[in-house]
Parts: sequence; structure tokens; C-alpha cells
Amino acid sequence: MAATVPAPSLSFSRPTFAKLSPHPYLLTNLTDPENPCRTNGRAPHEARPVHIHTSSLAHANGSALVRTGDTTVVCGVRAEILPVTNIPQYRPREPSYGEEDNDDSADVDELKDYDLLVPNIELATGCAPQFLPGVPPTTLAQTLSTRIYSLLHSCKVVDPKGLRVWYTPPKETREEGAMEVDEAQEEEEEEEERKPELKAYWVLYIDLLFVSFDGNPFDAAWTAVMAALRDTKLPQARWDPDREAVVCSRSEEAKMALDVRGLPVACTATVFLEKEHGEDSGSSAERKSRHWILLDPDRLEESLCKETVTVVVDCSGEETKVKSIEKHGGTVIGRELMRGFIGVAEGRWQEVKEASK
Amino acid sequence: MATVTPEASLNALPRADGSARYSYAGYTVTASVNGPIEAQRRDEHAYEAHVDVIVRPSAGVGGTRERHLEFILQSSLSQIILVKNFPRSVIQIVLQVESTPENAYVNTKLVQASLNLPIIPALFQTAVLALLSAAVPMKATATSTVVAVVSDDGSKKIVADPSPQDIREATSLHVLAFTSHDELLLSESEGDFTVKEWDGVYENAQKICCQTASKQDGIDMVLDDDASSPDMRHFLRSTLETKVASDLHWK
Repeated sequence: MAATVPAPSLSFSRPTFAKLSPHPYLLTNLTDPENPCRTNGRAPHEARPVHIHTSSLAHANGSALVRTGDTTVVCGVRAEILPVTNIPQYRPREPSYGEEDNDDSADVDELKDYDLLVPNIELATGCAPQFLPGVPPTTLAQTLSTRIYSLLHSCKVVDPKGLRVWYTPPKETREEGAMEVDEAQEEEEEEEERKPELKAYWVLYIDLLFVSFDGNPFDAAWTAVMAALRDTKLPQARWDPDREAVVCSRSEEAKMALDVRGLPVACTATVFLEKEHGEDSGSSAERKSRHWILLDPDRLEESLCKETVTVVVDCSGEETKVKSIEKHGGTVIGRELMRGFIGVAEGRWQEVKEASK
Repeated sequence: MATVTPEASLNALPRADGSARYSYAGYTVTASVNGPIEAQRRDEHAYEAHVDVIVRPSAGVGGTRERHLEFILQSSLSQIILVKNFPRSVIQIVLQVESTPENAYVNTKLVQASLNLPIIPALFQTAVLALLSAAVPMKATATSTVVAVVSDDGSKKIVADPSPQDIREATSLHVLAFTSHDELLLSESEGDFTVKEWDGVYENAQKICCQTASKQDGIDMVLDDDASSPDMRHFLRSTLETKVASDLHWK
């Protein structure tokens, strides 16, 4: 059989070509006259389908596993009690049992000042070749966690009302003689005594772990955070004045779902330029070479593209609300393209909404 | 609120290749630029120079927020620097924040993980000035600004260079940077806004960043409601002209 080894050909196989010169490889695929597509077989504006699986972690209050192509991320939300006595610089709140409390800016401060949402991202060793074991968190991990943190606060997804643990002191037992007091006065006193006090907060630790990494980490991470928060159930908590501690009920039925507002969805794309090198030396007109906007890029595409755009939209209302725009690393996407891209993000929102059902 | 004009001084640090100090809207930032210098093995790139941006906060050590700012600045600045001319080298930009605007009403925490958008224009502007002072070849200069959309009795108002109090009340906050070819280089927004609002923000920011170009017709834009906001491109130019004039004074 050894005799039938074919003569070594001078052309490379596809994987070899991709490894040796990735830029021309992707360019050739995109400019293929018969079937122009990306190296992963997708059209430029085609995103990978999202798969969401919730409640898979038993010990977390809420969890989600999100898969888009080969990017897999697990998110767990763990709630812990933070007594107000442990908060430095705590300012007591006026007791307003939630309903009439519409002061949004005060709510935001509460979440931010006391750090009630703590996201953390870990890019597991081996999820992609570039992540080495035993190194401090990479710039990518730190950047991602800042972006998730900012977006959690700027979108106001978590309602701080659901994180408060109130305590209403019971009516004092009175002596016989007190019963003779005037009715109106008693009512007044009752009001005075039964003023609820805020005793503790729930702190949500939102931990994300990338099991496998194939580009577009932010979209996957954000989808996982949203799915996990929507899945989160907090146990019934009450303040026990005798033990001076918060006591949680064990019963499953008494668990309350966390109030999550809206469904913001992140949508990322990168810009692939025709010219790899030498774009510097050229007049302004010449620099406008061809480009492709690649939605939901994979790892190969991310390594070849510099300009990235991420748009977070929420189409839950009648009008599309843009929650965040992040664009850097290039000058291709201007005003018109950005407007068009927000339209693309709306399409992505529908897909993610379908998947999160 | 009286709008103070931006101030800058070039070559403030004697040992660096180039440096700049810039203060505007309560922010003061000093930047030093060294480069192109030899790259360490891990930063070495065979075809282009590595742009290394380091942001140091005014108090404490840098955290995740500073890493994110560095990442944004690095990706934008490496677009305007001619990185392809200096393969296997590093251009290092160190940005030290000296002061940030104070506000008695806003609770300030030393360590904050959230994104700090209003500081980006100050950092960006200082970096560009320092790069110019270090004579690093660039294909374009760039200008940046921050714009807030403030809800004012139901109607939305666009405020350029907002104060911390404005930022607190703003429904959305936007940072935009334009190159001297009027191209959108950087756009970061957070908050809650519509496409229409973003369009308004874009026009406003473009006016601030790219005004000199439209002034060439000789028409002074007095009718502008935000005529008080500075003309960043003109500022960049006049700063350098002053510097060049003083350097060539002996001739």
C-alpha cells in the first residue's frame, strides 16, 4: 500500500491555507464569484443561532447556558444577604413600600453605591488556544466584565425593589388600660410604630465562565446574563429580631422571581477590509477599499478585523430603544452604516427573543 | 455655566520623546509618548508597531475600568498612527489623570468598575497632542467630544461637555471622535436613546469636532445655539502653531 502515496501536490489544503495566510483565505472566500460566503459558510449578515438552556446549575439561584456556534458560556447567579449594618457609608432609606417609589435615579445609586450586582468573567484555560493557564485575568476578560457591569447598570435591568429586605416592627403588646385611649390617637401611634425598616439587601454575584471560545464573547456573555437573571428566584427572606439576622424560608413555593426589566440584546459585528497591508500610503479616496461587515464574528474573523461595532437594543416597547453603541478601531462605519446596523440588531433581537422562550 | 476654553501645554516633561498636558471641563491629564522604541518579544508584531496605552487614575491603582479605557484608546490611536511604518517596535503612551471634576451632589467612590465615558475625550485629546509633540507620524489627527442627552420637561436637550450633575440626570451619554478627514473614529454611548436622538447627537458632535472645515467658507456660525462649545480642531491647530512659533523664535 505504501507504493500508492500520491506525489506531493503544490497546492495547500484549505486548513493549511487558512493557517498560513488567513487574510487572503477569508478574502478569497468572500470574493468567490459563485458562492461568496465566509470561511464558516455563513453569509456576511448571518449570525449563528442561539441556544439557551436555563436552570442547569443546582446550587445557583439562577443559571443559564448559552451556545452560539462554538462559543459556549455558563452563567450562574448567586444571591447573598448583605445586612445594612455591614455597608460602610450606608444612608437609611425612607420607607416607601415600592409602589409609589418612582425615583429612578435614587434606585440606580442604590445598586451602584452598595455594589449589589457583582459580575465576574472567567475565560477558562483551554477554551481557546490563546488563553494560557496560570496567568492573571487577560485584558479581554477585564474589558468584558467592565462592559457587562456598565450595561447592567445603564440598562437598569434589575429592579432594586426586589433586592430589599424590609422589617416591620410588631405592635407592642399593651396593658389593659391602654385600650381606653382614643381611637384616632391609637391609629396614629400605630402608624408611628409600624414604620418598616430596611434591614438587608440581596447581593447578586453573577459569574460567567467561558467553556469554549470562538469569537463574539460579549454577545454570548450578555445573553447568558439576561437569561440567568430572568431565571433567578430569590427565597423569601425576613428579618429575625431575636437573632438579629435575616432568615430565609426553605420552601420552594415561597421563592420569588427576580423582577427583570426589558430584554436588551447585544449584537456585534466586525469590519473586514480588503487590504491587509499598505492601506496607510494612499490618498483619502484610495483608502476606501472594499469592506465587508461580518455579523457575529468567529475567532478567525476577529483576529483579522480591527474595527468592531456592538449595539445593544431593546425592542420590547413599541419603539426600538438603543441601550449602548460601542464602535472603535476603524473609520469605515459612519452614520449611514450605523443606522443600518441598528436595523440588523433589531433582527437579532427577534432571534434571541425566540430562543429565550 | 460658563464654558472655559480647553488649555494645553506641550513638551511639559523633559525626558520623554513627547508630552502634553491638557485640561478641560474639570479634567486635567498629562501624557508622555515614547516611541518608536524596541519592542519586547511578547509585544512584537512583524508588520506593524504596537501601540501601548497605559492609563493611570488620579487616585488608587488602575482596575478593570482603566483596562477598558486603554483598550478603547489603543484601538483608536493605532488607527491614526502610521503603525505600518515601524514594524517590530512599540509606541508607548502613558496617560496620568491629574484631576477630575468634583461635585458635591454626586457620591464619589474611589474604586468604580463602571465605564467612565466623560473622561475619554480628555484622555484622547491629550494622547493626540502628545503624539504630535513626539513627532510620531500619523495619517490624520483626531478630535473627540462628549455629549449628553438631558430630558428637560419632556423634551430632550443635547448638552455638550456636560457637568457631573448633567451626567447624573442625563438619559444617555455619548462619546464621539472624528478624524481630520471627518470620519467617525470612535463612538461609545450608554443610556437609553432612539436612533433619531443618536442622529442629533452625531450632528452636534460633528459640529464640535470638525468645525474648522465648515468655517472655511468664511461664514461664522453665530446662529449656533452651542456656539459657546469650543472648536476642537481649531484648538488643536492653534496649540501646535503656538508651540512651533515659540520653538522657532530664535530664527
